[in-house]
Amino acid sequence: MKFKCNETLPERAIHIALKGPDGGCQRGDGSGCFVASNTATTPGDMTERGCTYAGCRGVVGGPVKDVIQLTHGPIGCAFFSWGYRPHLADSDFHMKYTFVSDMNETNIVFGGEKKLLQCIIEANREFPEARGVFIYNTCSTALIGDDGRDVAKQAEELIGKPVVFFECEGFRGVSQSMGHHVGNETIFRHLVGSVEPEGDFSRSINIIGDYNIKNDLRTFEYLFEALGIKILTRFTGNVSVEDLKIMHKAALNVVHCQRSATYIAEMMRDKYGTPYIDVTLWGIKHMSQALRDTAAFFGLEAEAEEVIAREVAAIQPRIEYYRQRLSGKTVFIYQGGPRAWHWIELLRELGMETMTAATTFGHDDDYQKIFRQLKEGALVVDNPNVPEIEEILHERRPDLFISGNKERYLAYKLGVPFVNGHTYDTGPYAGFVGMVNFARDIDKALHAPIWQTLRQRARPAPPEHHSPHGFEEVV
Amino acid sequence: MSCITVQDRAVAINPTRSCAPIGTMLANYGVHGAITINHGSQGCATYPRHQMSRHFREPVEVATTSLTEKTTVYGGKSNLLAALKNVWERFHPTMIVVCSTCLSETIGDDVPGIIDEFVERHPEVTVPILSVKTPSYIGNHTTGFDNFLKEIAANLPDRRKKKGETNGKINMIPGWVNPGDIRELKHMLREMGLHGLWLTDYSETLDGGYYEPRPPFPRGGTTIEELRSSSKSLATIALQRYVGGEAARIYERRYNVPAHVLTMPIGLVNTDAFIDTLVEITDHTIPEALQVERARLLDALVDTHMYTTGLRVALYGDPDLLEGLVGLVAEMGMTPAYILTAADTAPWAERMLELTGELGVESEIILKGDLHELHKRIKAHPVDLLIGHSKGKFIADAENIPLVRVGFPVEDRFGYHRRAIVGYNGSIALVDEITNQVFERRASAIVSNTLLERGVEGPSQVPIPLRNGKVVV
Repeated sequence: MKFKCNETLPERAIHIALKGPDGGCQRGDGSGCFVASNTATTPGDMTERGCTYAGCRGVVGGPVKDVIQLTHGPIGCAFFSWGYRPHLADSDFHMKYTFVSDMNETNIVFGGEKKLLQCIIEANREFPEARGVFIYNTCSTALIGDDGRDVAKQAEELIGKPVVFFECEGFRGVSQSMGHHVGNETIFRHLVGSVEPEGDFSRSINIIGDYNIKNDLRTFEYLFEALGIKILTRFTGNVSVEDLKIMHKAALNVVHCQRSATYIAEMMRDKYGTPYIDVTLWGIKHMSQALRDTAAFFGLEAEAEEVIAREVAAIQPRIEYYRQRLSGKTVFIYQGGPRAWHWIELLRELGMETMTAATTFGHDDDYQKIFRQLKEGALVVDNPNVPEIEEILHERRPDLFISGNKERYLAYKLGVPFVNGHTYDTGPYAGFVGMVNFARDIDKALHAPIWQTLRQRARPAPPEHHSPHGFEEVV
Repeated sequence: MSCITVQDRAVAINPTRSCAPIGTMLANYGVHGAITINHGSQGCATYPRHQMSRHFREPVEVATTSLTEKTTVYGGKSNLLAALKNVWERFHPTMIVVCSTCLSETIGDDVPGIIDEFVERHPEVTVPILSVKTPSYIGNHTTGFDNFLKEIAANLPDRRKKKGETNGKINMIPGWVNPGDIRELKHMLREMGLHGLWLTDYSETLDGGYYEPRPPFPRGGTTIEELRSSSKSLATIALQRYVGGEAARIYERRYNVPAHVLTMPIGLVNTDAFIDTLVEITDHTIPEALQVERARLLDALVDTHMYTTGLRVALYGDPDLLEGLVGLVAEMGMTPAYILTAADTAPWAERMLELTGELGVESEIILKGDLHELHKRIKAHPVDLLIGHSKGKFIADAENIPLVRVGFPVEDRFGYHRRAIVGYNGSIALVDEITNQVFERRASAIVSNTLLERGVEGPSQVPIPLRNGKVVV
């Protein structure tokens, strides 16, 4: 599989593979090796990747609802990461406010430690109800050598609340994936286990790696509760600092996003002996399996079957309706990491087949899971860049493209139906009831009359009005 | 008498501004076939792309040199050289603009030097490659736009100009505006029988159509040839002082193109000043169409004055936009109670002090301000209306005040990038929008508390019948 747009970028070949007829991997460079992933981006290739700060502030730390989200750095990092990702909670302080130490040139020259400390104190004075402070480091403040950890320690004593410093400078690592790791590690080190609550936690679990995008939690929390299982802490959708402190008490960790949050489950297993299971909370088969696996741990198999039967029966007629309308369609999924493999099965349940799967920051294990599930002839691309995405949309003509907001308008310019898998169009998409939302959105995207109109009535671009010498003649 | 306050708080809470690279990326989108390379971490390209996508609802493509730990230690030279090569070979753009970041500036990469080395190694690359300094810790998003224009003005125009040689055009620097604004300005110039040379023109590149097949580069934008000939223009008109004003002066100093730096043409007086300048430069008379539009704006101001006079409004955003808006707001009889900007420009504040004095309104002009500060002021002394970008929605929601969305970004509504707020037509649209926002609020029977408390003469003292038969006084 060779991309026309990659003629001058031969190094991209090792990131692209087709699944061969024998299930083997036909990599772009002909070596037969598996897709290369989690490596540095080719400079100037128009990547879609973000930075470590984005992974930490945007994904893992950002959803914590009752802390001051303070960026230590210049204004832009804080402005762009403010309120765009709908990681909702039952309060909205974390969505409405962003705090930044607003480093200017003088601070960069003379250091920003004093200013950072002052910022923490002032922010705490403005919002005394906040339960802690999360500080995210950025490129510039890391380079000038500000000792944010030390400042955080001082501040903690001064304000009497947890002050957590994340070393998530943008240049660390090759993608935002590093930021997830930093986020997990820092929260684990500073918060988890800092309080020993009384009580019986033998029937409680943590949901690890769900960020409550458009209230995803509402679609599956009640299912676990129906089994008599208590959800102690959600990492980190709709979570408070107090919840994070006691999460080590749970009997089991249920890991949903296995790219951004397995780290903390592993750390808890090693330190506290808490076992964890990997689950997928999207789609009928996966969601049922998640309930069965969790129930099996607590010996609640019969209850689980009862809940599953009831829930599946409730959505089955609607899923069947959509399945009939969506059968036979092909999909191009391009997500951050695991959603690419989470959704292959879900889409099959709707009669659709994923023919191209790509991720921004997936690691080898993500690609193994993707590859295992795909049909022969399907294409896998690691860290695709804009021209590659355009070529896939143009040459492979998927019936549907599932990706994020940045890619949406590219798909639209090429006339390809699109569903926003990052932040959902009209979500939530998780659980059983969420799957109906997902199917409905896919159906809306595929069957909107605009595609018919485009096919029948779109015209080529009129010639540009520029005359050969570059400007219009003056009359 | 207005007053100037400088916000005195180390921490910025809900800033009104973002950082410099996005300004360069936006401005460079107005050059046909040009590509921006952001020299820094990947997030420095991806975040602004995401932001611009949400505002313009268009695909936005920016390359990044993807700096990592290793390159941070050894310098970003190899990555920048690779990025220049890859971008050139893959896209063959008409121009490459490299904008720096906090990261590359702090490690001290010599971007112009690296570009020179690249050009030496690759003689086949004949297109201009510019470097723009855009560390996020200096200035704000408008700084990146302004620095880009300065680089263009200093480097691209043709210096071989014979005496009296002209292209018959006017260099137009609209500043940080929306595609709709540029289209409105084009309309005004066309009506005047003039040709603009736009620095830069993203009216179509960032508000494009659907075509099959998709053109390789977005349609529209100023061409490199036009930029080259900009030294031969009749005059330069910059419509924002801090975005393009300096570039206009470069044209004047280096190429003898007279500079006219004006206030953003929002409202009657500001637009008149713009048209008068065009008349002054060219000796053309004001055409019938513009006379009619002007009269229509006057008519709209008359028609709406009973609903807007006496209202207190809070304005926030970029200095140039605020300067233009104050004109219209005062013409509508409203008091710009708070004029808040994140910038720290004392000359601007002093001019605003003078301007509000001339207009007879009393304002608090807040420098280095953020939206949390504005919110605190509004809580203490309520206003009737907010005018600014989308991020003010949190204040609007909390205080139940209507928000008139102007500026950048407007990410929670559709099509605002297509609307014009400049010129006579743009001002009319804004007068309508403001008045309707006032109505919208009253239709849901929430009467402006501030009006009642302060006892201002105005429509809200008239009893308002509610749908349920009650009457609110």
